[in-house]
Amino acid sequence: MQSKTRFVSLLLIALTVSFATYSARAWSQAEDKSAQGQSTAEAKAASDIKSAPSDEGQLATVNNAKIPAYAKIYVAPMPGGFENYIIAGLRNKKVPLTVMVDRSKAEYEISGVSESEKAGWAKMLFIGSQQSNEQASIKVSDLKTGAIIFGYSVHKGNSVRGRQSAGEACAKHLKQVVID
Amino acid sequence: MSYRRSGAGIVIILMIIAVFGAQAKDAKNAPPSEKIPSGAKVFVAPIADGFDTFLKDAVAKKKVPVELVASRDQADYEISGTAESQKAGAAKKIIFGNWHSREEASITVSNIKSGEVVWAYSVHEEASTHGKRSSAEACAKHLKEAIESK
Repeated sequence: MQSKTRFVSLLLIALTVSFATYSARAWSQAEDKSAQGQSTAEAKAASDIKSAPSDEGQLATVNNAKIPAYAKIYVAPMPGGFENYIIAGLRNKKVPLTVMVDRSKAEYEISGVSESEKAGWAKMLFIGSQQSNEQASIKVSDLKTGAIIFGYSVHKGNSVRGRQSAGEACAKHLKQVVID
Repeated sequence: MSYRRSGAGIVIILMIIAVFGAQAKDAKNAPPSEKIPSGAKVFVAPIADGFDTFLKDAVAKKKVPVELVASRDQADYEISGTAESQKAGAAKKIIFGNWHSREEASITVSNIKSGEVVWAYSVHEEASTHGKRSSAEACAKHLKEAIESK
């Protein structure tokens, strides 16, 4: 009788241990799968960033994201007041977006950097050009999700209209991702 | 009979909600219809290198139909922006024989209440005859055109 009870108890212990081992293994496998899925998704997102060369700059769109027409956009302050040139460029190129002064009222944000270098005496003497060297890079982010949906950089060795040209180039390429 | 009536009522209410919902969705992304009215009160915010002073003078000179106010609280619109002026260096004078300065400016006009930018303009002059005055007058001239064309 005693041996029968001992046998049953041993069987129960063995069953419990095997169940616990199986569940732990299944749990670790599920974790591995989710981690693999995440890394695959990250790799896919990275591969979705498409770079397209344009006439004077590099344009990148993520997942072919588009901005709805007349979406409220805020242009963050940039070095040298370049944000004003971008706003003027948006108007000049008739980009269908509503620019807001208040960030809290906007859905998207344009931020970036710009640099302007005036022609030196050597450039004037040897190349005969008094035009400036402009470079700027902007990105558009969705303020709700925090995702960057558009990026563009421009470089002009001889900018006829200085920062105005760079601002208009940014606006022109931004228009490509706005659904009209 | 009463069930039918109540059913029809629910259908009508749902249709009204759908119509108003669609309108609200459209209004969210509606094109900005705001124009700067003639005689609007405008405040000119300080701009680098005292460009705001040149701009105020140009607004008066070009007879832009707006009223300039000294305080932002009294204004409906605000002009802000940036400006840069570079005097001709020795190389420009000797090689190109040009004494004129290089001017760059960009301004935006925003509605203070709604926070919406209603107009913007940028100007670049490689050899500005009258320096900052020329670029300020260009801004004022185009602002006048924008107000009067509407």
